[in-house]
Amino acid sequence: MLIDINANIGHWPFQQTNCNTCKSLLERMNKYGVELSAVSNMNGIFYKDTQAANEELHDEIMSDRRFRDRFIPFAVLNPIYAGWKNDMDICIAKMGVKGIRLYPLYHDYELTDPSCIELVKRAKDRGLIVAFTLRMVDSRPRSWMDINKEWSLEDIVPVIKEVPDAKYLILNVANGPKLNDENTKLFKDSEIVCDTSGRSISNLGELLNTYGKDKFAFGTHSPILDYLTGLLRIESLRTNEADEATKDLLRSGNAKRILGLL
Amino acid sequence: MEDTAFSAAGIIVGSTLAGLSCKDNSASASYNIMKEVMKYRKIDAHEHVGLYGLTLEEQIDIADRLGMGKMVVSTPVTDTEKVVSPDDFIKCNDIVLNAMKQYPERYLGTCFVNPVYRKESLEEIKRCIDLGMIGLKVYNQMKINNPLFYPIIEKFIDLKMIILMHSACGIGIGGVRTKYGNNQPNSSTPDDFVEAAKRYPEAMFQYAHTGGGGDWEYACKAIRDYPNIYVDTSGSNNEGNMIDFAIKYLGEDRLFFGNDLFYYQGVGTILSSNLSESQKNKIFFENFNNILRKTGKNVN
Repeated sequence: MLIDINANIGHWPFQQTNCNTCKSLLERMNKYGVELSAVSNMNGIFYKDTQAANEELHDEIMSDRRFRDRFIPFAVLNPIYAGWKNDMDICIAKMGVKGIRLYPLYHDYELTDPSCIELVKRAKDRGLIVAFTLRMVDSRPRSWMDINKEWSLEDIVPVIKEVPDAKYLILNVANGPKLNDENTKLFKDSEIVCDTSGRSISNLGELLNTYGKDKFAFGTHSPILDYLTGLLRIESLRTNEADEATKDLLRSGNAKRILGLL
Repeated sequence: MEDTAFSAAGIIVGSTLAGLSCKDNSASASYNIMKEVMKYRKIDAHEHVGLYGLTLEEQIDIADRLGMGKMVVSTPVTDTEKVVSPDDFIKCNDIVLNAMKQYPERYLGTCFVNPVYRKESLEEIKRCIDLGMIGLKVYNQMKINNPLFYPIIEKFIDLKMIILMHSACGIGIGGVRTKYGNNQPNSSTPDDFVEAAKRYPEAMFQYAHTGGGGDWEYACKAIRDYPNIYVDTSGSNNEGNMIDFAIKYLGEDRLFFGNDLFYYQGVGTILSSNLSESQKNKIFFENFNNILRKTGKNVN
């Protein structure tokens, strides 16, 4: 069984993408054997009022029973924009979201902004996961209208230090997967799962040794990245790097745990 | 909205989701990615040895995992600031020759030179080809359309071998929009390739790494009308639509599978594209083998 913890629908305004609707994403999931996808709406990165994107996602998921059975919605919120607390409550009560995706680089606030910390604490208190994406796209061939900054794993550490008992997803680990000893301990002691889509997951076997087999889970970062590289990193592991039980954790076990599906 | 009952993953308020998600099991249980990977013979048309501490044995281990029988390798000097002397490129090529000698079944070598040194470059090309190399790999020491490159290009026309040239095409890194900064001023842009291809239509050029951080949409559109420019799909930026876009603009005969040290992305992008099995086979293997066939050095 496969669970994708990093899927998106919606538009990327600078480039045409494929399989960016619930319908087309579900077809792709069926083709490649992906049972569930944690999904959010990329439009929320670009709307000032992110709640409109969350409503779009909700409406699309509710339009077909198959979508409701296979998609786990994540909301996009902006803690420096009016009404986010109400929006979060609505996302929980009426949309059934399991987590929040935050985009400080796009929404132009610091990760340690008091509003961001408040949002993470509030999410924790309500049982929501908080997801950070280290980059949406490679900044090198970006559009002239896009941002030029990317994060590495270390950039997320300050918020984890502020709210160490929250649950985190770190998505598209494209830069710097190595941490110093202190931060490695923090990472290992916290409830964090990284998806396997990012380019820095080039030696997953070694990362499992460094951070633990409970810290990684299958993810695609679709439709921005190709659908299978994150899976290939798992399935090509040799037995001495990951036995079947460990691979099952990577395929779905760790996702089930952090998403509360167990 | 056909059914408003909140009955699904993530929709029931307060649900733990446990037990709900697997009932409508319509995902294919039969897709076996490793079986798919191993189904295709592969020639990695853009690979390196002696860079970033990766040993030959470690590289071959990765190649074995992903069913890559042959790797077309080079060792360029990638330090943009360094002036590459003949001694430097001879040392680089010796690294490749050593890899070819140790694992002749796995490595196909390509020669690296700096065309600033015309005489020494041509001598080194002869040495390397005589020792079994199958093409040229050049980096950002000079643009592909620089007149100093002409004798090298003419040599490879005579040899019926391909020239793999590093490329750059982006805002921050390449020469397309230099207004925003150009970190590699001597890197070849798609437009530089076009100029060289127009001057030498009988030459074969390989535009490096569509996934290497350049703007692959720009590149594919720029080189569309020049059939002697091939592209390899290597690089770390495995964007979802890249392969299908490249096929749309370049057709199925001008693309080569490559990794450039990013092995999972190299295989994953092609595997997850909308290409037919026949098209994937061309990109993974046949297209580059057809280049090798021109000199009788093809893989059987």
